[in-house]
Amino acid sequence: MKTLAVDTSTMMATCALLDEDRLLGEFSLNQDMTHSENLVPMIKEMLDNLNLKVKDIDLFGVAIGPGSFTGLRIGIATIKSFAHVFDKPVIGVSTLEGLAFNLPYNGYIVPIIDARRNRIYTGIYNRIKGNLINIVEPTIMEVDKLMKLLQKEYDHIIVNGNGTLVYRDIILEALGDQVIMAPKNLNSCRASSIGELALLKYKEGQRDSYYHLVPEYLRESQAQRELRKRDK
Amino acid sequence: MVRIVLKGLKETEEFGEKLGSILKPGDIISLTGDLGAGKTALTKSIGKGLGVEDYITSPTFTLINEYKGRINLYHFDVYRLEGSMDLYDLGFEEYIYSDGISIIEWGDKIEEALPKERINIRIEKGTELDERIIYIYGEGERFEQFIKELNID
Repeated sequence: MKTLAVDTSTMMATCALLDEDRLLGEFSLNQDMTHSENLVPMIKEMLDNLNLKVKDIDLFGVAIGPGSFTGLRIGIATIKSFAHVFDKPVIGVSTLEGLAFNLPYNGYIVPIIDARRNRIYTGIYNRIKGNLINIVEPTIMEVDKLMKLLQKEYDHIIVNGNGTLVYRDIILEALGDQVIMAPKNLNSCRASSIGELALLKYKEGQRDSYYHLVPEYLRESQAQRELRKRDK
Repeated sequence: MVRIVLKGLKETEEFGEKLGSILKPGDIISLTGDLGAGKTALTKSIGKGLGVEDYITSPTFTLINEYKGRINLYHFDVYRLEGSMDLYDLGFEEYIYSDGISIIEWGDKIEEALPKERINIRIEKGTELDERIIYIYGEGERFEQFIKELNID
């Protein structure tokens, strides 16, 4: 089942093509927010090199957030339009789950995406018999709050995501030996992870519709915003 | 608060260009003034000072216009928004916390969603034809530095 996946949740624009057995191609560029200009040519480049066309794809996967508002819209609109034109199934995958999936680590996996102003999108995962399990659901919080939570209740932690670059010093200071930083090749969003998760979820029976799939922005609630304002 | 009287279009244009030339990445300007006071006209001159070559038009209809210059310029008009919740449907935070410059017409309507560290500019019609009175106020380190660079006594 040929699966095309993209992730444009962060500055990394990434697309990948895989089937049940192999990763056939992956193309990633980590630069300014230029997804609207780069994503479709990137997909074309990859497919051309593989001698494939969009009509050959059997399943589409896309990262639905949390992450950049504009980025998410570009990735999701692109994948939805492909799926719609060729009437093929589409699966939305959490960006945080995608990041966690990068890491085959026997401990707590904590992907961290920068949400600006000392806030992060994060969740906590671990693996049981190789399967990724979500322990703390994706949420938005202040980086200090996550550090306190991890300090108190978790050990053998690995972190990845662009938030680990922004808040590197804070993380190392707070967690010291409790934490390891992911290597660079596994630190960013990878469409190959989104694609494999999409394929897994499809086989498990998940079905999203190209009419109804929407981004998961994970915004702060009005109440959270008020509280933050008052604290200031 | 700084008060500046600009006599005629030319002075207003020169003032805008000067503003544009001293703005820094991440600066946020909340621009207020009645209809026809010259908010968009002032933004045009600021754009010129920023090295924007595109023709700057009013974002009243589009809500946000983006321009490339020495620094990217994001020009908002929030008059039609019903409140700050609408902003989050625009991806507003990604603009104002970016390395570009955000100029927000009618910024007073969404004051609570704007960071305190910003430059407020109010523009009013004067008594003479084409005379404009500009009030600049704000708080924070960046604002103080900006006023110093503007060099108006």
